[in-house]
Amino acid sequence: MIADATYTVLFYGLSIAVVVLALAAVNARQLLRAALGLMGMLALSAGFYVMLRAEFLAGVQILVYVGGIVVLIVFAIMLTRSSELLEDHPRAATRAFGAVFSIAFMLISCMALRATEFPVVPNAAPSGDEIHKIGVALLDRGSAGYLLPFEVVSLLLLVAVVGGTVVARKTPPKDQPFTTGGDLRGETILHPARVQDESPPAGGKP
Amino acid sequence: MTELLARFAPGIAEWLTLCAVLYAIGLYGLLTRRNAIAILMAVEIMLNAAALNFVAFNRFIAPDAVDGHVMAIFIIVMAAAEIVVGMAIVVALYRLRGSVDVNQMNSMKG
Repeated sequence: MIADATYTVLFYGLSIAVVVLALAAVNARQLLRAALGLMGMLALSAGFYVMLRAEFLAGVQILVYVGGIVVLIVFAIMLTRSSELLEDHPRAATRAFGAVFSIAFMLISCMALRATEFPVVPNAAPSGDEIHKIGVALLDRGSAGYLLPFEVVSLLLLVAVVGGTVVARKTPPKDQPFTTGGDLRGETILHPARVQDESPPAGGKP
Repeated sequence: MTELLARFAPGIAEWLTLCAVLYAIGLYGLLTRRNAIAILMAVEIMLNAAALNFVAFNRFIAPDAVDGHVMAIFIIVMAAAEIVVGMAIVVALYRLRGSVDVNQMNSMKG
């Protein structure tokens, strides 16, 4: 009884907090504030995973989303100077269109939810060894296992790492061989002092 | 008071409604934002709602299985890969054009 009441209070409290933070993430003018809202929203979602008895996923959520993805987003905001250069003001017509479209989507999916009978297992209690089961399922070669998707996903991560590095590095000029050191011309613009040090002194050669 | 609260303990419909609301918020951000980074953030909100949906189905419909958890893990991994490539493209585009406004990205227009 007490546990159920606590569950209800936790669910609605967390839901309100997450929805408010998500709204802040999509509405904030300053992108750093939006990233902060996104971070809070993702961190509180880990609480939802705990409430759904998926403790392993809660840990993964904190590690990957809050520790990795949000940090990457903040880096990208700073590297592109979006917070100072570009203010994100959508026009009123765009905002109205977006609001109508998303509210219509939400209403339709909620109506579909109400109309569906889910085969819910009553008084279901998970056995509590989810981590063990997840590990077995990820490496199981049988019909209930996910070994092939697991390997494909590891390949996807490798491709993402290599692709991200190649796309984000500076393009070398045509006469310069391929290096990971970047563009010498870009360096000249960004660090004139260093190039001056490396250049031979004027009149050094007889 | 406790009995009343206990009677309203969230079932699968409440969880799925929450996910639908979060997904709609992400969709709103996707449609209204002009900055490419903000659009990627909205996509993250939507992916998070989808993962939560899988876990809610797992909890209420097949509590002994972990297929929903595995799917949520795959979604999180995919979101990480997507954000890495997306941010690399955004940074490269900023270096090339000095702007990350998606309204100005029309150089492939015929």
